[in-house]
Amino acid sequence: MTPAIKIAGLTKAFGNTQALAGVDLEIAEGQFYGLLGPNGAGKSTTINILTGLVRKDAGSTAVFGRDTVTDFRFTRSQLGIAAQELSIDWFFPIEKLLAFQAGYYGITEKQAQPRINELLERLGLAKKRESRLRHLSGGMKRRYQLAKALIHDPKIIILDEPTAGVDVELRHELWDYLREMHQAGKTILLTTHYIEEAELLCEEVAIINEGKIIKKGNPQQLTSELGRSGITINISGWKESLNSLLAKYTCTDCDAGRLHFTMRNPEQALPEILKILVTNGVHIHRVEMEKSSLEDVFLSLTGKGIS
Amino acid sequence: MDSRINWVGLMTLIRREVGRFFSVYRQTVLPGLISSTLYIMVFGFTLQQRIAEIDGVSYTIFIIPGLIMMNTLTNASANTSSSMLQMKLLQQLPDILTAPLSSLEISLAYIIGGTVRGTVNGILVMLLGIALVGLPLHHPLMTVGFIIMVSWCFASMGLLLGQLADTWDQLAMLNNFFLTPLSFLGGIFYSIKMLPDWAQTISFINPIYYMINGLRFTTIGVYDSPPFISFIMALLMTIGFSAAAILLMQSGKKIKQ
Repeated sequence: MTPAIKIAGLTKAFGNTQALAGVDLEIAEGQFYGLLGPNGAGKSTTINILTGLVRKDAGSTAVFGRDTVTDFRFTRSQLGIAAQELSIDWFFPIEKLLAFQAGYYGITEKQAQPRINELLERLGLAKKRESRLRHLSGGMKRRYQLAKALIHDPKIIILDEPTAGVDVELRHELWDYLREMHQAGKTILLTTHYIEEAELLCEEVAIINEGKIIKKGNPQQLTSELGRSGITINISGWKESLNSLLAKYTCTDCDAGRLHFTMRNPEQALPEILKILVTNGVHIHRVEMEKSSLEDVFLSLTGKGIS
Repeated sequence: MDSRINWVGLMTLIRREVGRFFSVYRQTVLPGLISSTLYIMVFGFTLQQRIAEIDGVSYTIFIIPGLIMMNTLTNASANTSSSMLQMKLLQQLPDILTAPLSSLEISLAYIIGGTVRGTVNGILVMLLGIALVGLPLHHPLMTVGFIIMVSWCFASMGLLLGQLADTWDQLAMLNNFFLTPLSFLGGIFYSIKMLPDWAQTISFINPIYYMINGLRFTTIGVYDSPPFISFIMALLMTIGFSAAAILLMQSGKKIKQ
C-alpha cells in the first residue's frame, strides 16, 4: 500500500548549519505519527519542505506516492497544515478568512459555507465568526488555526507544535479533537516536544535530533526497550541470604532499609520481588514504581533531555 | 486537484487583494482624491493666474494627467509591495505558499489586485478632473487602457520590491527616494520644454516622464515626446517588471528558505 507520506534522504542546510542530515520517514495512511525532538532538531524544517515552504537540498518527499515538488497541486490539496506560528490578519473576519482559505484549494465560497459553519461550531468559534483575528484570544487563534487546516477536508493533517503555549484545558480539548479526526480515518503527523502529547496520541513516533532520525517505533515499545523504569521498596528485616535470591535483578541503590531496582519492565518483575521479600520475613513499608517515558528514551539515546 | 490552472484559487486571491484595499478605502482611495483636489486648487487655480497656457491648454488642465499618473503608479506599487511585505511579516504567506497555487497564479493575483487599485485611483482622479475643470478626453479608451497598463507595470514593480524588502523602512525608501521624486521630475507640473537642455536630457531617462507624456496625449492631446515612444516604454517596462516579479516568485529566493 502506498504510504501517505514518504520522505527519503532529505537534507537541508541553512548557511553553515546542517538542519537536516538525511531524514527518512514513512507514514502509513490512517496513522497517527509523532515527530519528536527538541527545539531546533529539524522537525519544522522537515514538514516545511513537505509542504513547500522550504526548498530541500537533496532527497525526496512524496504524498500518496506523488512528488511534492513536481506534483504540488495534488500533494498540497491532500495536506492540511496547522503551523506553529500564528498568523495575523487585520482586514477580514475569520469566517471570510476561512472562505479564502477554502478558495485557495479550489473550493468556492458557496461550496465551503457548510464546512465553515461546521468547523466554527465544532471548535467553539461560531460566536466569533465576524471577529477579526487580532480580537481573538490565544486559545481561539489556535483553534482558528486548526479550522483553517481542516477547511478543505484534507486526508493528511500536519500539526506543528499544535499545543505550544496553550493552557491545559485547551490542550486536552485539542487532543480530544485530534483523536476524533484520527478515528475518522485521517492521517496525522504531529511534531511536538511535549513527551506526554506524543505518548498519549501517537501510534508511532520518530525521534529526531540534530537533523537525523535517531529512533523510530511505537512509544510503548521504545520506552520498554530504552527506558529506565525502576522499583523502589522501603523495608525492614533485611537478610543477607536475600542477595542471592534477588541476584537476577539489578539493585542499583540498595541498603538494609531501601532497595532500588532498575529494569525495563517493572510491572512484570514487581510481583516476584515482593513474593521473595515477603516469604523471607521482610516487612514492606512502601513500594514505588517509576514508569519510563519517551523522555528517558531520548535521554538514553542522546545523553540530554528533550525539552 | 490536478487541473492546469487553479481558477478558483486565482480568483480567490484576487478577491482578497482587492477586498483588502477596499476595506481600508480611507487609506487607499480617499487620500489620492484629497491630495489631487488640493494640487488642483493650490497649484492649478493659483498658478494659472501667473502661468500662460501650455501648448494651448490651461495650466490647471495641463497638470491633471500628471496627477492621474502619480496616483495610478503610487497606488498600484503600494498595493502589491505592502501586501506582500505584510504577508511575510504577519506569517500569512505560508497559507498561500502551502496551497495548490502556482507561483504564476500567486504573482498574477497580486499584480491584478494592484492593477485594480491603481486603475480605480487613476480613474477617480480623472473623474475629479472632469468634474472640477472639465478635463477633456481626446482618446477615452486609450486613456483607460493606458492607465490599466501603467497600473499593471507598477503593480509588478511593487510585487518585485515587496518580495525583496524585509522591512517597512526599505519600502518607504522606495517611495520617498524614487517614486515621488521621479513623478515630480517627470513633468507633472510643467512641460519639459520649459526646462534647460541639460534638464530635458535628464528627463528622458526618467521612465515616469513617458507615462505622464503618454497620458497627456490620450487626455488633452498634447505631448512633449512622440506618444508611441511613451507606449513602447510603458509596454517594455510592463513586460520587464512582470517577468522579473514572476521569476523571483518562482525562484522563491526571498519568500522561501
